[in-house]
Amino acid sequence: MAKSQVTRKITHDEFDPVGTLALIVLYFIVLMLMWVFTYFVEFVGNDPTPFVVA
Amino acid sequence: MRIHVYERLWLVASMILIVAFIATVTYGTVGLGITMVDDREETLSPGDIDEDERFEDPRIEQVGENEFEAYVVAMTFLFQPDPIEVPANSEVTFYVTSRDVIHSFTVVGTNTNTMVIPGEVSVMTVEFDEPGEYGIICNEYCGVGHHDMEAELIVVEEDEFDLTELSVDAPDTVEPDAEIELTATVSNGLIDDLEATVTVEIGDETFQEDVTVGGDESEDVSITVDADDLGEGDHDWTVTVDDYEETGTVSVASDTDENDDGSENGEDTTDENDASSTVEDRLS
Repeated sequence: MAKSQVTRKITHDEFDPVGTLALIVLYFIVLMLMWVFTYFVEFVGNDPTPFVVA
Repeated sequence: MRIHVYERLWLVASMILIVAFIATVTYGTVGLGITMVDDREETLSPGDIDEDERFEDPRIEQVGENEFEAYVVAMTFLFQPDPIEVPANSEVTFYVTSRDVIHSFTVVGTNTNTMVIPGEVSVMTVEFDEPGEYGIICNEYCGVGHHDMEAELIVVEEDEFDLTELSVDAPDTVEPDAEIELTATVSNGLIDDLEATVTVEIGDETFQEDVTVGGDESEDVSITVDADDLGEGDHDWTVTVDDYEETGTVSVASDTDENDDGSENGEDTTDENDASSTVEDRLS
């Protein structure tokens, strides 16, 4: 039985998961947009809002 | 320790995210002036609500040029007063307390929303710019009628808003040779003077009088009619001031009953007919 096992060793900085990075950047952008929507549109936009009386 | 460059990147990014969250909330508080309801108001035991001058008569009060205060009592399963009417382009401070269990005062579709806790008075100041109608609901489960606990908040045009109350004092029955004295009391809850015309219709006669009611004052308008002029029988009367109307009936009849002064029963016969269009009357 032929045994063919190729092993390639890379250094710590050579590991480069671009796909994972892209996915996390995407999640990050979605999160930011959802926060902007929740706070500035859904919350601040729903007048009247109780405010501080000087 | 060696940290991968990507790992460093998303560590920094997540820190920025947390800082951004805190920054927006801080901006809302400092920049926009949004406040949270707190317990800064004195506590008020539910048993003392009826003795508290704010809540004994749940109402809207004008306290400044465009400033109003609304004293609201929540209880299973209603809000008083209902509907709450405020003018557009005004600043309204709601004082809300509960008579029994925990409720909430939620103006649907807005951020005007607070828990209403027995013993506490929740205070919120909000600005109403445009006329409109809002629903008020309770969003804290408070019992079997919770789903029915609602009220209405009506923001009316600034120049259509008034805090006028009309009550009429008129006798129920009079002797044919007596006079019918009808007194209409017009009270004005606003700071500005109220100029109105009091129209009294009794039988076929109509009386009109222009009155100017000062801010937070009331005026009496009395008219006197000879019962003879109306003749025997029942006569309807109507008192109209702006959009407010009170009606009643006065009977002109010779009193042939043996207990002609009513004192024989040992009772105090009150043949007065007090009609009043206040909020309490509409509720009861």
